[in-house]
Amino acid sequence: MIKAKLKPLDEILGYIEPYEKILILGCGGCVSVCLAGGQKEVRLLQSELASKLDQKKEVKQISGYTVERQCNQQYMKELDEIAQNVDCMLSMACGAGIQLLAERHHKHPVFPAVNTVAIGVDLDVGIYEERCRACGECVLAYTAGICPVTRCAKGLFNGPCGGTSGDRCEVSPDVMCAWHEIYVRLKAQNRLEDILKFQPPMEWKNQVKRTIVQAGYAHRYFKK
Amino acid sequence: MKHKIKLEIDTAPIKSILNQNKKQIKLGLSMCAHCALCAESCFLYISNDRDPEYMPAYKFINTIGRLYKKKGKVSKEALEKMGELVFDKCVLCTRCYCPFGIDIPSLITLGRRICRSQGVFREYDK
Repeated sequence: MIKAKLKPLDEILGYIEPYEKILILGCGGCVSVCLAGGQKEVRLLQSELASKLDQKKEVKQISGYTVERQCNQQYMKELDEIAQNVDCMLSMACGAGIQLLAERHHKHPVFPAVNTVAIGVDLDVGIYEERCRACGECVLAYTAGICPVTRCAKGLFNGPCGGTSGDRCEVSPDVMCAWHEIYVRLKAQNRLEDILKFQPPMEWKNQVKRTIVQAGYAHRYFKK
Repeated sequence: MKHKIKLEIDTAPIKSILNQNKKQIKLGLSMCAHCALCAESCFLYISNDRDPEYMPAYKFINTIGRLYKKKGKVSKEALEKMGELVFDKCVLCTRCYCPFGIDIPSLITLGRRICRSQGVFREYDK
């Protein structure tokens, strides 16, 4: 799932500085699961901002609300009336949710209260690790299930590079070389030939807004 | 599992949500023929040994349906039980199918809204 982390309070205070009525908007999806932007975190941010403003002797009206998902218009309708009475919104959703909110309420300033960090796995409660950057060119089949885009410092599709030193990466002795790990796992699976299969460079699809249409649904959205 | 902030139920926001969505709730409740076809479209129902509490119709009838019939006057315990149905037994994947066209996900969403208005929601660090 998507993992996010709360921004520093001073950064958030900077965003809301010119406004009086602020709505903190949580999301019941991924950011709730990773304890960054659910209803509980909305309450916490609300009280932390109130306390900071109190110290500065500033008066602002900060309210909180949580919708089930900010990445789906269906769940945003209930917000329309509430949004009419605020000066700006602080979204605790992932980057996609924040953008959809800003699009729907384009007359309102919408600010991010969290940094969207990764698509990751849960190591334990409150600790997560990145595993995917949604590059759109998955090569895990050839890399023994280890993502070189996420785990290699250079994001190499074909590795290792000359900077590998034993099992470590040249950027830091604390960082494992992803391509060494790929080599070890492929060898253990007796399919080292996969490391030699050349992977063409990525088409930098991240530079455009990618749209995903699942097989079987294309006829709904595209004319023949 | 549920967050307990308020000691008592504040019926005003519940009534407000019920009134705003009266038509939709009433229509959903009157149209449901209890045919149980929605159950087969719910992956949670299938993967939980076909436990009836996972049936989409059961979930909306026993949450937003009950709240509507009781005009929002429910006990805190009852609301927490509803919270389990709408948060723990539904992931809002919106895949449930009703042959009569009842929008079950949006009815369950209303149940969640009411629970949230009373500080009942799922906590992921418990």
